[in-house]
Amino acid sequence: MAELFFLPDAAMLGSRLLWFGVLVLAAIVAGELFERWLRLPRIVGFVGAGIALGPQAAGLIDTDALFDLRIFLHVTLGLVLFELGQRVDLGWLRRNPWLLATSLLEASVSFAAVFGMLVVFDVHPVVAAMAAAIAVGTSPAVVITVAKDLRAQGQVTERLLLLATLNSVYAYLALTMLFAWAHLEYRRAWTAVVLHPLYLIVGAALLGLLLAGVALWLMRHLGKRTDAQFVGVVALVMIAIALASALKLPVLLTLLSFGILTRVLDRERRFVSLALGRTGTLAIAVLFSLTGASLDFRQFHIGAMAALALVAVRFAGKTLGVLALARPSALVLRKAALLSIGLAPMSGVALLLVQDMLSLYPEFGTQLSAVMFSAIVMLEILGPLAVHYALKQAGEAAERT
Amino acid sequence: MTILEFQRSAPLTIGVELELQVLNTRDCDLTRGASDLLALLARESHPGDIKPEITESMIEVSTSVHTRYAPLAKELRGIRAALVKAADRLNLAIAGGGAHPFQHWSERRIYEGPRFKYLSDLYGYLAKQFTVFGQHVHIGCPHGDDALFLLHAMSRYVPHFIALAASSPYYQGVDTAFDSSRLHAITAFPLSGRAPFSTRWSEFTEYFDRMRSYGIVESMKDFYWDIRPKPEYGTIEIRVFDTPLTVERAAALAAYAQALARYLLVERHLRPTEDLYLVYTYNRFQACRFGMEGNFIDPVTQKHRPLREDILSSIEAVGPHARELEAGQALTELKLAAGTGGNDAGWMRAAYGRSQSLQDLMWQASRRWSGER
Repeated sequence: MAELFFLPDAAMLGSRLLWFGVLVLAAIVAGELFERWLRLPRIVGFVGAGIALGPQAAGLIDTDALFDLRIFLHVTLGLVLFELGQRVDLGWLRRNPWLLATSLLEASVSFAAVFGMLVVFDVHPVVAAMAAAIAVGTSPAVVITVAKDLRAQGQVTERLLLLATLNSVYAYLALTMLFAWAHLEYRRAWTAVVLHPLYLIVGAALLGLLLAGVALWLMRHLGKRTDAQFVGVVALVMIAIALASALKLPVLLTLLSFGILTRVLDRERRFVSLALGRTGTLAIAVLFSLTGASLDFRQFHIGAMAALALVAVRFAGKTLGVLALARPSALVLRKAALLSIGLAPMSGVALLLVQDMLSLYPEFGTQLSAVMFSAIVMLEILGPLAVHYALKQAGEAAERT
Repeated sequence: MTILEFQRSAPLTIGVELELQVLNTRDCDLTRGASDLLALLARESHPGDIKPEITESMIEVSTSVHTRYAPLAKELRGIRAALVKAADRLNLAIAGGGAHPFQHWSERRIYEGPRFKYLSDLYGYLAKQFTVFGQHVHIGCPHGDDALFLLHAMSRYVPHFIALAASSPYYQGVDTAFDSSRLHAITAFPLSGRAPFSTRWSEFTEYFDRMRSYGIVESMKDFYWDIRPKPEYGTIEIRVFDTPLTVERAAALAAYAQALARYLLVERHLRPTEDLYLVYTYNRFQACRFGMEGNFIDPVTQKHRPLREDILSSIEAVGPHARELEAGQALTELKLAAGTGGNDAGWMRAAYGRSQSLQDLMWQASRRWSGER
């Protein structure tokens, strides 16, 4: 057969690039289907395509491929986090301190509710605390993507973005401290307890500051041409992720602080808002289809019921926190209720956290991971629908054009 | 049958309405915030009245009826304080200015309500393009005939009002070269322009009834004239002012209109005729385009002179009446603006010149409106 060397051989069907392309294609088609015919957020379609083609269904994208494609996941998530950091205004917390109180209350009540429930179900307290910490976070990526797709503006939208940013930070910090505390309990190295969280927070802030400085210096020279600014930002986000990983700093905190400081330090408003446009659609299709493919269904039959309970308790906790301070924070009750619904999506980042936790502490067992994975599966699909519903009902979505 | 009865009101009383921009604090674009802002303001008592306007990025504030400039300015400052406080809690910014420099009209949302829905259905994209912001000044008149006399006599001074208030040089992302680009957004409406000439209220009522019998209008609200009578208030309403960047300027402009009204009604030296309108659109264009640098043709003497000169001499002429009305300070401020100080359009061009950023310009404008500088 050597003389037919020019014919393709079947091995190319195993090419990762091919299946990655197919995944993105399937995602974009499913997304359009959802948006146009079902009038539902397109990211549900992206996630659905990921699930369908992922290792646990069609298997076109296997676990190894997912590992290789992680870089795309990280860069797109990085861009989304940067954009979120740029969009939220921490100065608002100063002008309306009741918002900070709302944020702390919804986070702590939902933490206590999930923790309490798991302890009642005989989960080891340290493990229960870690799971509860993960449950505190609202997915920043889902919230900002749905808000942007709907071109939503208004109090529910702005507060949702702010609360999701803050509770993601709390979740991350709480989890780091719990890891450190677990170190003490299992390995008795107390210095780690104090120094590790400190290193993470201060390190991420300083790296964010450095990057923001570079970004603004760049803007001064690139001027207001949005395409140049956009490419500059993408490059800096890649550099940020690489540096954060090398320094063992949290990517989430680094990119949020990069975004926040870029805005705070931009006194002359040189930075035109990040117009992701078509590139943004690609990034989001990649992000959510890969997240969908990473969802782990294998333990769904064990964990589903408990996960449902966790989702319900978490929602109750967040709702209570938001409603309690609605009036002093200047929000009508109806919008506060919608805001609580919007906080539902649990972070895809939580997936990585659970995996980290399992690799560090395999003794925590499969019971909890089954519950957490199942909860994430549920909220990855229901979460975008919840945000979509909340913003539509609040009357903050743009009219369809 | 006539429903157009002119309610008597105390002569020379004034009231001000201001349409204001609701901005986000991120990039200072217009944002959907009016209903949230109004819901919050409804919880606390505040001076004046604060109402929705046609899109969600607009609100309208109005004062009560005043006889003097100082209490009017005080009430406006009180309204401003309440607004700024509420906006702060919602992370919104409020700004004056006749138009937003870079908003996309297609992004605007119509405020919920039957009248706004009707206007939006009728005018389509015009309703959203109508996202421009004006100041309206009401002047009380004892009866309809005086109102019409004043309305037509005032038409000579419309260029003054335009040039002194102009604050919409930027529109849809570019410098329009106009000091006031806003008035041209209004010209697109079929019932804009000037009121038909008549000096008897009975004649005007007849005109209105005919327009109504054609089914063209339902109420006076359907006329978008530069100056229109408002019989249910017993006033004439001057609508050519861009919303200034500060409440102080808004109060001063109202005081100038009040002093002019007293001057015209007491001295009666200007007899309104249709001829006043021969130069009307020319003068109006000059004022919109060039501001105080525009050319002005006196409709009576037919003489050409720079608009700036005509404004300064008119401020001089109404001086005694302004003193009678305790509005001397207001006129001093406007004299400064007409002289070296310039109007708000000039301030905006200078601010943009420094930062080269329309976002930053709107941020500065919102700081200026809240009284910080």
